[in-house]
Amino acid sequence: MFKAIVSADTLTDALDSVSVLVDECKIRLNEEEFSIRAVDPANVGMVDLSLDAAAFESYEADGGVIGVNLGRLQDIAGMANSGDLIRFELDEETRKLHIGIDGLSYTLALIDPDSIRQEPDIPELDLPAQIVLEGNQLDRGITAADMVSDHISLRVDEGSEAFYIEAEGDTDDVDLELTSEDLIDLTAGPADSLFSLDYLKDMNKAIPKATEVTVDLGEEFPVKLHYEFAEGLGHVTYMLAPRIQSE
Amino acid sequence: MEFEAFAERVDGIEAESGDIETIERVAALFETADAELPVVARFVQGRVFPAWSSRTLDIGPSLCYTAIARAAGPNVSADDIEARLADRGEIGAVAASYEFGDQQGLAAFGGGSISGLTVDDVDTDLRALAAADGSGSQDRKVDILFGLFRQCSRLEARYLARLVLGEMRIGVGEGTVRDAICEAFDQLPEAVARALQVTNDYGEVAAVAREEGQAGLDGLELDIGRPVQSMLAQAGTAAEALDSWEEAAAEVKFDGARVQIHVEAGEDGGLGEVSIYSRNMDDVTAALPDIVDVVRQSVTEPCILDGEVVAVDDAGDPLPFQHVLRRFRRKHDVDRMVEEVTLRLHAFDCLRAGSEGLLERPLVDRHRRLEALVTDDEAVADLLLSDDPDELAAFEAEALEAGHEGIMLKNPQSTYSPGDRGQNWLKRKPDVETVDLVVTGGEWGEGRRASFLGTFLLSVREPETNGYRTIGKVATGITDEKLAELTELLEPHITAESGQTVDIQPSVVFEVGYEEIQPSPTYSSGYALRFPRFVAVRPDKSPADCETVDRIERLAESQ
Repeated sequence: MFKAIVSADTLTDALDSVSVLVDECKIRLNEEEFSIRAVDPANVGMVDLSLDAAAFESYEADGGVIGVNLGRLQDIAGMANSGDLIRFELDEETRKLHIGIDGLSYTLALIDPDSIRQEPDIPELDLPAQIVLEGNQLDRGITAADMVSDHISLRVDEGSEAFYIEAEGDTDDVDLELTSEDLIDLTAGPADSLFSLDYLKDMNKAIPKATEVTVDLGEEFPVKLHYEFAEGLGHVTYMLAPRIQSE
Repeated sequence: MEFEAFAERVDGIEAESGDIETIERVAALFETADAELPVVARFVQGRVFPAWSSRTLDIGPSLCYTAIARAAGPNVSADDIEARLADRGEIGAVAASYEFGDQQGLAAFGGGSISGLTVDDVDTDLRALAAADGSGSQDRKVDILFGLFRQCSRLEARYLARLVLGEMRIGVGEGTVRDAICEAFDQLPEAVARALQVTNDYGEVAAVAREEGQAGLDGLELDIGRPVQSMLAQAGTAAEALDSWEEAAAEVKFDGARVQIHVEAGEDGGLGEVSIYSRNMDDVTAALPDIVDVVRQSVTEPCILDGEVVAVDDAGDPLPFQHVLRRFRRKHDVDRMVEEVTLRLHAFDCLRAGSEGLLERPLVDRHRRLEALVTDDEAVADLLLSDDPDELAAFEAEALEAGHEGIMLKNPQSTYSPGDRGQNWLKRKPDVETVDLVVTGGEWGEGRRASFLGTFLLSVREPETNGYRTIGKVATGITDEKLAELTELLEPHITAESGQTVDIQPSVVFEVGYEEIQPSPTYSSGYALRFPRFVAVRPDKSPADCETVDRIERLAESQ
């Protein structure tokens, strides 16, 4: 059973965070929360999203799993105006999802969850450094890095207590320094890893610019990016595997 | 089976030049393939899907370059890959020239063991890639490929890249795989050949041969909905036909496109879906709704038919093959083209009627079944049985007069052997066919011809890359005098020499006669000429005027 009403903005934020990595996903309709976990086809980036039942205007679910085409669902959500409410009701018989937006009804055929890539296990990582910054600071570093390279290095200097976003191109280099004064918070530790910008750019697209982003970082380890939306009732964690830094 | 182990064995196969040794090596590969044998039997031929399936990976070279560049990074672009391709000439060598594996996967941090890529993993991912469609699917395809390449060693990358682009080129053709199945699982060549003919799935046949032996192979049958290769004809004359068989069955040789029509059984005892396949077993049903209608209206039971569709003018007279091509493979504006180009079906053989396979039955019986099964006489080609050379000559003259290409002469008692170009079907055509090909290499002759180039490597154009792809060698039809002349013409264009072999800058165009164009794993165009012979130098033509890969493909289809 699944029956819910949610604001279009909240739904769009949730879907956007997942669709940057995959086209199809499983949605877990747990009693307390709506959650999605997915890994990209190359097994390099993953997303773990949860949206608390309290983020919905109303929410009833009993632990079912549905498979959806995210692009389709985003298109439908795009029919709503900001501030509109979207109603969902799952028809267990036909395995179709009825969606209502202000007089408009849409019946979405679901995908067999078994045909979708398995949900990944979340790696247990003990990452020594933590950086808390604003979405737009991260965006600035990523945008600059993208001008010169297809890779980006994230590094914490324990001595100077600063976070560095760096990129080396064939000819040009970019270096953004964010000191502990610039940052919301910094836990210094040994941290220096290289990442593919293809992935980080996509993740960055979904991260709201005015929001607080927590970055957990290690030495040649995956990075974890965490942020909240829907007034703290939605949580997104991205995890991205590093590239080995060959010198 | 680990993909690395597969790649190592394939590398050994590629390096092997002897035919028998190659078969032994492929057989050894099959013996170690375990559960992944069907996949291995396809991969070794550069296929992901069975030969009968028209599904393809449908991935353009540029997507593949992008994925390789991403795995090769940092700061390697698809343009860099193309530049290296121009330099090394072959995508496998390019992929193997990079060190992949810098991009880690999340699995490496998940606590579990890091297992290498298996043949099955590659197959699963490539099938997922083929299935991706809709908006954003190009990006997903690149993601999937990138995910595979990043896990590859150099050797694995070499063969993955070739597999993705469908150009394995390790000298393993269908015959090699057939012989290797016999050798690996100790089966009779006839049983394996027959099983391959009816299923067209090397993977399935290999697995059945291993698990069920000859009884299993003999139990494999033609299936409606799974196309088989068409039976083919050699060039021949009525005199030859009558010499061998006493009586010949003659048909018009239509200048159209070969089709194989599959009519399935419906739920209520009626007819089900109608599918039409080209000679290459591509599904062309959607482009031919008018032929589907004809079949629906005139066929009385589920069946597999062989025939030809021909374009006709308003008077019903046949038009050349090019007109048929305007209809074949068309995906858009099908309805408009149906209006513009009228097609006629001429069914001439029946491979299966109802639940009964007819391959082993004599031609005359099959034709009788065909006539009984298709109610529309116009849609069935006439068969003339005759032992009189004059009558056959008159039949030929009449066919040519009516605008057809020539006649077919068939052994009335012969069985239908899919894919076989045997002595039982002969085609009689007045013209010699020629193509214009550019010379890209050669070999010095031997003995008294040692100072001349004696063999010429011929290529077709590939407009997408501005490059050339080989299609065969010509060495016959040339007098000593002519050889001297050709050597003088080509020698200034030699760019490299190694032993007897030379590379030649594309500049000289030959007109070359041939009997038939056939698929070939040996040449990089994917095709070879059967019985090529030198006709003339074409000083009036430049390499830019020579045939393209696409045109060769079309010619091959029109045969």
